[in-house]
Amino acid sequence: MNYIVLIKQVPDIRNIPPDAWDWEKGTLRRGMLDTVCNELDRQALAFTAALRREHDGQVVVLTMGPPFATEVLRYALSICADRAVLLTDRKLGGADTPATAYPLSQSIRKIEKEIFGGDRDYLIITGMQSVDGDTAQVPPQVAEELGIPHIAYATSFRFADGALQVARITRVGKEVVSPTSYPALITVTNWTEPPFASFHRTVWAFDQEIVNWSAADVEADPGRIGLTGSRTTVNRIFSPKDVSTKNCEYVTDMGRLAVKIREIYDAKLSSQGAAEEVGEQYRLPQDRTPTFHGEVWVYAEADESGLHPAAFELLGRAAALARSLNEQVAAVLLGSGVDALARELIAYGADKVYLAEHDLLGHFSPLPYTETIGDLIGRYRPQIVLFAATPLGRELAPRVAYRTNSGLTADCTALDLIDLKRAGKEYTGILRQTRPALGGNIMASIITQNADIQMSTARPGVLKALPRDDSRQGEIIEYTPQLAAERVGVSLVSFEPVQATAELSDAGVIVTGGAGLRTKENYDAYIRPLATELGNFLGVESMVGASRAAVERGMIDRGHQVGQTGQTVKPRVYVAVGVSGAVQHLTGMQSSDIIVAINKDAKAPIFNVADLGVVASLEETIPQLTEALKAGAVQR
Amino acid sequence: MTGINKVDVLIVGGGPAGLSAAIKLQQLLNAKGRPERVAVIDKAEKAGQHILSGLVFEPEALTELIPDWKERKDPFVTKALGSEVQIDDTLFLTKSRAIKLPAWIVPPYLRHRGDLALSGAEMVRWLVTEAESLGVRVYTGFAAVEVLYGESGVRGVRLGDKGRDREGHPQVNFVPGEAIEAKVTIFAEGSLGQLAEDVVQKMGLDRGRIHQIQSLGVKEVLKLPADNAFGPNHVVHTFGFPLPDVFGGGTLYSLDKSTVAVALVLALDWKYADLSPQQELQVFKSHPYVAKMLEGGEVIAYGAKTLPEGGYFALPQPYTGGALVVGDAAGFTDVRKLKGWHNAMRSGMLAGQAVAEAIEQDDFSAGALKRYGELLEAGPVIADLKRGRNYRQMFTKGRTVYLGAPLSLVQRFVPGRIKTEPDYLGTKRVLLERDYRGGYDRLSDVALSGTIHREEEPSHIAIADPDGCAACLRDYGVHPCEYFCPADVYRFEDGELVLNPSNCVHCQTCRHKCPHQVIQWRVPEGGGGPKYKIM
Repeated sequence: MNYIVLIKQVPDIRNIPPDAWDWEKGTLRRGMLDTVCNELDRQALAFTAALRREHDGQVVVLTMGPPFATEVLRYALSICADRAVLLTDRKLGGADTPATAYPLSQSIRKIEKEIFGGDRDYLIITGMQSVDGDTAQVPPQVAEELGIPHIAYATSFRFADGALQVARITRVGKEVVSPTSYPALITVTNWTEPPFASFHRTVWAFDQEIVNWSAADVEADPGRIGLTGSRTTVNRIFSPKDVSTKNCEYVTDMGRLAVKIREIYDAKLSSQGAAEEVGEQYRLPQDRTPTFHGEVWVYAEADESGLHPAAFELLGRAAALARSLNEQVAAVLLGSGVDALARELIAYGADKVYLAEHDLLGHFSPLPYTETIGDLIGRYRPQIVLFAATPLGRELAPRVAYRTNSGLTADCTALDLIDLKRAGKEYTGILRQTRPALGGNIMASIITQNADIQMSTARPGVLKALPRDDSRQGEIIEYTPQLAAERVGVSLVSFEPVQATAELSDAGVIVTGGAGLRTKENYDAYIRPLATELGNFLGVESMVGASRAAVERGMIDRGHQVGQTGQTVKPRVYVAVGVSGAVQHLTGMQSSDIIVAINKDAKAPIFNVADLGVVASLEETIPQLTEALKAGAVQR
Repeated sequence: MTGINKVDVLIVGGGPAGLSAAIKLQQLLNAKGRPERVAVIDKAEKAGQHILSGLVFEPEALTELIPDWKERKDPFVTKALGSEVQIDDTLFLTKSRAIKLPAWIVPPYLRHRGDLALSGAEMVRWLVTEAESLGVRVYTGFAAVEVLYGESGVRGVRLGDKGRDREGHPQVNFVPGEAIEAKVTIFAEGSLGQLAEDVVQKMGLDRGRIHQIQSLGVKEVLKLPADNAFGPNHVVHTFGFPLPDVFGGGTLYSLDKSTVAVALVLALDWKYADLSPQQELQVFKSHPYVAKMLEGGEVIAYGAKTLPEGGYFALPQPYTGGALVVGDAAGFTDVRKLKGWHNAMRSGMLAGQAVAEAIEQDDFSAGALKRYGELLEAGPVIADLKRGRNYRQMFTKGRTVYLGAPLSLVQRFVPGRIKTEPDYLGTKRVLLERDYRGGYDRLSDVALSGTIHREEEPSHIAIADPDGCAACLRDYGVHPCEYFCPADVYRFEDGELVLNPSNCVHCQTCRHKCPHQVIQWRVPEGGGGPKYKIM
């Protein structure tokens, strides 16, 4: 078996100097940034090296980028690649994800023909997403262009009786799947330590010739690459930082603190509602016809446990958009034996439910799902399709978008309608899709162009669902897809539901302990109960976090570390206990909605970013606060 | 695999000295049509990331290395040619005033008109491109940790392991440190280079020399508003405030019309047990004159590095069998000018020349490489250092700038050599008790150095004997390392030392200044450390 590894050279987002942003122009001065090999692509290289140890074959590494991207190809050669191909051409610049996936696929076809001699027994392996674009769209779209199966979020593999089995994580469990046709594409998540290059292999890598291909070399259709081939474009880039600096309100009574947290929490939620109402107030101009036509759709994600709550949030937003556009809201529901869920979708705002049932849709698999939704879209031509930015949504939406010629924006945190004049074109009632990029360092608003359909995945928890109304009426339209088992491309070997080991970045509430706690005993005694009670109090999922200093002192493992060298989080409520607030920590949490700081040092910089502050010893405060929250939760 | 890698010439350290040696040598080899190739290794993840300097640069050295450099059409050359110093002020700062020294009083070695105000990191990146175009290989992310010796001297180096965990156990990504053997190894690690120290000590190259002494430079780069008071092509050197009784001073160099590098250079023999150089830099910036110049500025980069100041009498014999030492690793900084780059580059070029001759004769013995020593003696590097041989020592004798500065002017007439003591002995039970709180705090500055180390790697800093820490508290009333470290690596909590080695910017002040000499600093995993871009 042979291997093609797709890698990307990305800016080093661990280290963005303050002057790298040109806020006036809304651009990033790339020259100010170091470039590195995308971290998950390093994981992909490690994955490939491990695969190759078990199943020998040629490894070709491919990247698309400027000439100096040879740097990451040298790195890949020094890890495990035998040959390196650089796809570089000015005509490829400014591409969105389909305009990237297409020429990459053309290159893969050329590699298959010229390097593998037409042998189709190969795997394409790549990181799940890049840290700069952060869309996770290119890999599924490459698979879609090539018409091959993909396996996303791979964490390990093994060979059983010569057949490759890949373990992957889903939102609800861990599944093992096996490709049934080749080539197949695998995206790799964080599964091992990033690989290091040995010196002798590095010396060898520097002596290798790197193959340079242009767009013409890979016979790419000029209409499908670069800016011309892109279906989305960046409208504006802005800083996520609040312009107003926070004014910390100091509280001494813990019962009062609990009340204040609740007040601000509710106020922020309703102000988000208010922001949505701004969108709702959008009215189509009298004298103009909207740029796009058709219904507003929501893909309703369902699994063994029922509908994902994000479906209701999407419906809430879709209802507002549809009202402004004088269109209907529809939900798309796929599965096997899921018809009972359709009524629920209507109760949450759907005017219509497109219900597609089939045995092959009983368990999520990208190819039959893409085919089914693609057929529905082809038949009914909606103007907007929203997916939840769940792991499933983020692997399904890219393929659907690619197949249906739609523009897609990943992981949106705001969706509204605007009119726009741009480059001599007038747009009316188009979807403005706002999302964080570059690890949350910037916000970008993106619009769709050169496409009939606007698609987004929206981050769960940011949009607001409508109240459930079981008296609402709606239409259920049943559709029976024509699916063939042999076209599925992967077979399910096993599935094991696991209580999701929630990612820190998914938690609604994070309580973080810092050096001020001093010992692991204190951490366990104070932080964990506080997190549990605060979660109960607000009715959201809570997790515990730690500053680097706390991790260094062995209070908890590094998986919980927040900050520059840990994770970047943005929960609804962030409580920092005994955290001084060094800038290295602040960069990882300062965009949280509500920040509560508890520290005995009144001068700790954490108070500069806090909404609520308590200056007191932790030993007294935390048990009182935990009790107050407990009592508050019971009252409700 | 831990096989032995063989290269023709290995250069340890990709700074101005190492790259000048590489470029000169490869030029000579290429001209003779010889097949030998030069390999440079550097511990930074990328070229230039561990380079920090003032930098007011005497461009003649670059012209000697690359005669047509001014004709090159690239952004660095354009920027460099536009950075010529036109306004050159030397100021004496009192607490509230700035007194400009008339030009006739400023000694010629402290005049800078015609020099170029550059970023060292930028220049090194440019030199790497030049070296690579000649066929030199520059391998970054590889840290050499050990010198390998053979019968006739140095045989090569061993690289550090990668992929060990906190406790030192190999992780799944473990890559053992490989040996690299070379006909000649050129040590160009810069100030406080540990392998150069090892060679000097093991090969007995330091006989009769005085202790090497150091200064620490802490530096910020600020972005100023377009209508700033400082302007382009302007350099300022100050002495006096904030520390008139510590050898050194402040500098402000414009990098372009709205970017200025601000630094404070302090001799490490300072007496104050609680002196924080990073904080002193903030105090310096609060001086009314400096504050006016920097008004509205935002710090965009920070770093710290030491420089050798022992001068002529502290130089080791810079060659032995199979090895040469160049640049700051040997101590070639001209202490009167407080400049090292031109000497670093010239020493590198001479090393390149000597090695080219050695390759020609296929003789890499100490006897053959002695040629490097002869070339140095005959050239301007040694001549410069000789002229300033007692300069720094005389300054130290003067105790404060008021006496030290005038004394330093007559240092040349002092017969013989004035001895030095190791810098750590300068620490006394005297506290500065600075309670200035303005400016940037130390951790915010450290973040702007971009420094990062893999979180799981073993600590590269260790305390040989914790009793030393207790002794410090007893002797000085404080733990000096909590203050002198410009990167906040050392913190005592409830009397216990908590190390933050991942903050380290590799200046090694700790190892040099620790009063009881219990701090052990080893080179961390290759690729870790600061990520300077415009330092």
